[in-house]
Amino acid sequence: MNNAPKPYGIIAEFRTAADILHAAEKVRDAGYQKWDVFTPFPVHGMDRAMGLKNSKVGWFAFLGGVAGYTTGMLMIWFMNALDYPLVVGGKPMFSPFYAFPPSYELTILFGAFGSLFGMLFLNRLPRLYHPLLKNRRFALVTHDRFFLVIECADPKYSEAQARKLLEEAGSRHIEMVED
Amino acid sequence: MKKSMSTPLDLSRWRKVPLLLTAGGGLVALLGLLVNREQFAFSWLLAFMFFLSLSAGALFLVMAHHLFDAGWSVPLRRFLEHLANLFPWLAVLFVPIALLAPTLYQWMSLDPHLDHALHAKQPLFTRPMFYAVAAICFGVWIFLSNRLRHWSLEQDRSGAALPTHRMRFYSCVGIFLFAITLTLAAIMWMKALQHQWFSTMYGVYYFAGSVWMTLGTAYLITLVLDRQGVLTDTLHDHQYYFLGSLLFAFTVFYAYIHFSQYFIIWNGNMPEETFWYVLREKGTWWWVGMVIIFGHFFLPFLALLRIDVKSMFGFMAPLCGWTWLMHYLDLSFNIMPVKHPDGFVLHWIDLGCWAFMAGLLTMIFLREYGKHPPYPLKDPRLVEAMGFAHPIPTQISGGELDECDDTPAVHPEVQGGRQ
Amino acid sequence: MAARATPLTIPEPPAELQRPLLVDNYRSFGWISNRVCSLTEGKAPVWWWVLFIPSVLALGMLLFMLGYQISTGVGVWGNMHPVMWGWDIINFVWWIGIGHAGTLISAILFLLRQRWRTAVNRAAEAMTIFAVMCAGIYPALHVGRVWYDWWLFPIPNSNSIWPQFRSPLMWDVFAVSTYFTVSVLFWYMGLIPDLAVMRDRARTRIRQFAYGLFALGWTGSNRHWSNYEKAYLILAGLSTPLVLSVHSIVSLDFAVSQVPGWHTTIFPPYFVAGAIFSGFGMVLTLLIPLRSIFKLEDIITLRHIDVMCKVTLATGSIVGYAYGMEFFIAWYSGSPYERFAFINRALGPYWWGYWTMIVCNVVVPQLFWFKSLRRNLVVVFIISILVNIGMWFERFVIIVISLHRDFVPANWGYYSPSWVDICTYVGTFGLFFTLFLLFIRFLPMIAISEVKGVTPQSDPHHPLGGAKIKEMALHE
Repeated sequence: MNNAPKPYGIIAEFRTAADILHAAEKVRDAGYQKWDVFTPFPVHGMDRAMGLKNSKVGWFAFLGGVAGYTTGMLMIWFMNALDYPLVVGGKPMFSPFYAFPPSYELTILFGAFGSLFGMLFLNRLPRLYHPLLKNRRFALVTHDRFFLVIECADPKYSEAQARKLLEEAGSRHIEMVED
Repeated sequence: MKKSMSTPLDLSRWRKVPLLLTAGGGLVALLGLLVNREQFAFSWLLAFMFFLSLSAGALFLVMAHHLFDAGWSVPLRRFLEHLANLFPWLAVLFVPIALLAPTLYQWMSLDPHLDHALHAKQPLFTRPMFYAVAAICFGVWIFLSNRLRHWSLEQDRSGAALPTHRMRFYSCVGIFLFAITLTLAAIMWMKALQHQWFSTMYGVYYFAGSVWMTLGTAYLITLVLDRQGVLTDTLHDHQYYFLGSLLFAFTVFYAYIHFSQYFIIWNGNMPEETFWYVLREKGTWWWVGMVIIFGHFFLPFLALLRIDVKSMFGFMAPLCGWTWLMHYLDLSFNIMPVKHPDGFVLHWIDLGCWAFMAGLLTMIFLREYGKHPPYPLKDPRLVEAMGFAHPIPTQISGGELDECDDTPAVHPEVQGGRQ
Repeated sequence: MAARATPLTIPEPPAELQRPLLVDNYRSFGWISNRVCSLTEGKAPVWWWVLFIPSVLALGMLLFMLGYQISTGVGVWGNMHPVMWGWDIINFVWWIGIGHAGTLISAILFLLRQRWRTAVNRAAEAMTIFAVMCAGIYPALHVGRVWYDWWLFPIPNSNSIWPQFRSPLMWDVFAVSTYFTVSVLFWYMGLIPDLAVMRDRARTRIRQFAYGLFALGWTGSNRHWSNYEKAYLILAGLSTPLVLSVHSIVSLDFAVSQVPGWHTTIFPPYFVAGAIFSGFGMVLTLLIPLRSIFKLEDIITLRHIDVMCKVTLATGSIVGYAYGMEFFIAWYSGSPYERFAFINRALGPYWWGYWTMIVCNVVVPQLFWFKSLRRNLVVVFIISILVNIGMWFERFVIIVISLHRDFVPANWGYYSPSWVDICTYVGTFGLFFTLFLLFIRFLPMIAISEVKGVTPQSDPHHPLGGAKIKEMALHE
């Protein structure tokens, strides 16, 4: 058994939203790929500062919605017009009008599942173990601190350079995190 | 996106178009009046209700701006105020309807003692009341739009807070009067074509379609004024994005209102209500109904679903034009089956009346717009609209606008300093 | 075209038109976490027990009443020919209507970029979920034989007959269950970052485990926030048509029939406006005391109360328009039944119900035109309760008054609730308040991370600048 702790990455603490935003721009421009910013709330403009692309969650929700609407319409057509047709209230066996309310609700239901579970899937959550969560100082990320982490797995990673870059970006506290 | 289109277009060759429309359309309409008076009356009513939508929608948007204490819509408010101030001219354009009312409205030539539906509506459905309602409606609209523009122009001079409070006051009172008068207008001028029919939703229905089409128009006007450099300095991507989002919202709202009305009548299946839709499912009217379902709702709904398309001008401009076509068809669906019960007819007099009003109102609008500052110069919320201040931080939610540029490159001088 | 006018200098807004801050007194991020989380930490205060114990007792009464009703039959209610829908459906519509404000605040105001919503949305969404739970009891129970409720779902049964989708009852099943599910999803998703806050503050093993489990390992990564915000936006976009559709479908339960007073095309939007109106009444009723007890004045400021009063005024006025329209078209239609139904509302044996509704829903909210009254917490609290009462009477008017005298005078009758009706209704308050008190005891009742996001120092582009204000707050 090899219990020697492997380094996970270098973590730098910042005190304000403006500082972390500018630090993120610097790290992005330095060409790192495996790095991330941790904030107590979503910082406006951070996606651009990090160079992130538009989130893909929308596709999950859209496909969920289409699936819901189709399911609703087909289900009602099958049940009330095909499998067991009954004349009720002089209305046609199947009409998109009366089938609309339930199908519409299913559209929203499946769309909502798509967006929540799509989000969790894209974020690879739930993940109850994370190296950063062991770090005592990192617990302040949900309180009032901002952190920037460059992972050792990044192809451009070198501890000295990363430390220098983060110091230049204005971090007052930099340390290594173990996996 | 905006930076690439900084050179103004040469619009000089379009300058004569409104005049030509007015003259040509006027001649055709006049000919129509002489040849076929009944068709002329219906065509005129259709064109009139179409342009009434525009002014009513603009008045609503101005009042909504004040009621919500909105910031982003300040640069657009001036041209909306001018659109709303077309009401006096619309009152003039109402004169032929007032004169030809007996041709249009069957109830005017019926004896109330022989017609229960008419008898029930006494004394509202009498000729004096018809004219009184028209006078009240136009009185309210002219008064409100006039006051709102007056105080807006006043603020251009003083920059004080008082005009803002005045405009809010007129909007608060106005929204009530507007709701009542627009409902009455929709009932007396459109619903009364078949006076036996009734629906509590009808006022909301006309309102929803009107605002939808006005939003499309506002988007187009903003685009043109931006392109010509008139509004460029006061706009950034948010205005387009928000207008597009509102257009999307009203696409859904209109569909919701119309579906609810149809659905409740369909389910209730009572002959005193269904006959209105039965008439509109005959002949080619059925296809017009389909076009409304798919063109008025599904197409714009699916088209506007994505966030980024709302600021793609090549995509939005045709869509905004489409709102005109769809709203015209929707009104035609309401008005014309009375005259042409067998199917949809696009009559040459329709085009003449529409062209005449379009040309005339455009000329007046352009003249008014040229006379006054192009946007509220000293509105206290202008600085917000321009994106130079975020009075409430991160007003833009959901990171949805991180894709477009909402942080200005250069900050202008702010008087008094905001340090 | 007008000449190009470029303002090089922009006038500063007059002082009275400056927009106020959403979080008063320049509070720091840490202060917000501490303030909100401290409400759930330590021992429960005495007042909490004083409220909780009667709530649990009332909940017990609810369970007893439901048991009694199920074992005996719906005959224990006051429902009797011709009024076959009584307090059961009134309370169903009332509770579900109350829920709507929560979704309006969390979804529609989000889309409208009304950032003040962050201070109240968590509590309002909790209110939604608990109100829908109270509402859901009634339709499940009023079918009579509760053990056949599963026939409402598209599950094959031994008779191989499927549910009948031409019936509005089926639409209700889908609407209400979707509404409940999506509300819970939306609420939980908003809670994830705040549960992480609670996790990181937790000092006991149980709290660490429970909050840690439900926080799903949230770290505040911006790559996560990016997807999270998009998902939140989409959920808001989905909840908006959902909340409109739910009360629209509830209104269709009435409107697709042919009963005079029920069959009218304006019902869907009118019900939605009424639902939001009543829900805001309930939000104000709940939040005004909580804000004072919990010392949350810097987060739920007077401006928040002021804005909520305005929403109440606006929706109350829309409801007033709908009342007017119904009356007008009843006259306009010339249908003798419609006309009678409405005259009977105002002047019939239940005139007191009608006029309570008009006074509470249309007249009283007009007081909110006055700023001094919108900022007077006592007045706002009283009006918010009147709104709740008025909206209860609206459903009473629609259901009981329309049914008790329909087409044939031989069918007329007079409806009164039974003691079971009344005790069940009181019991649902027990359920609601039990859940709500547990919520404020164990979960952050303010959306912590969202409120942090509306402070001036949270915006890197804000002209006030991030760092300066933060230091000010730290030195306090």
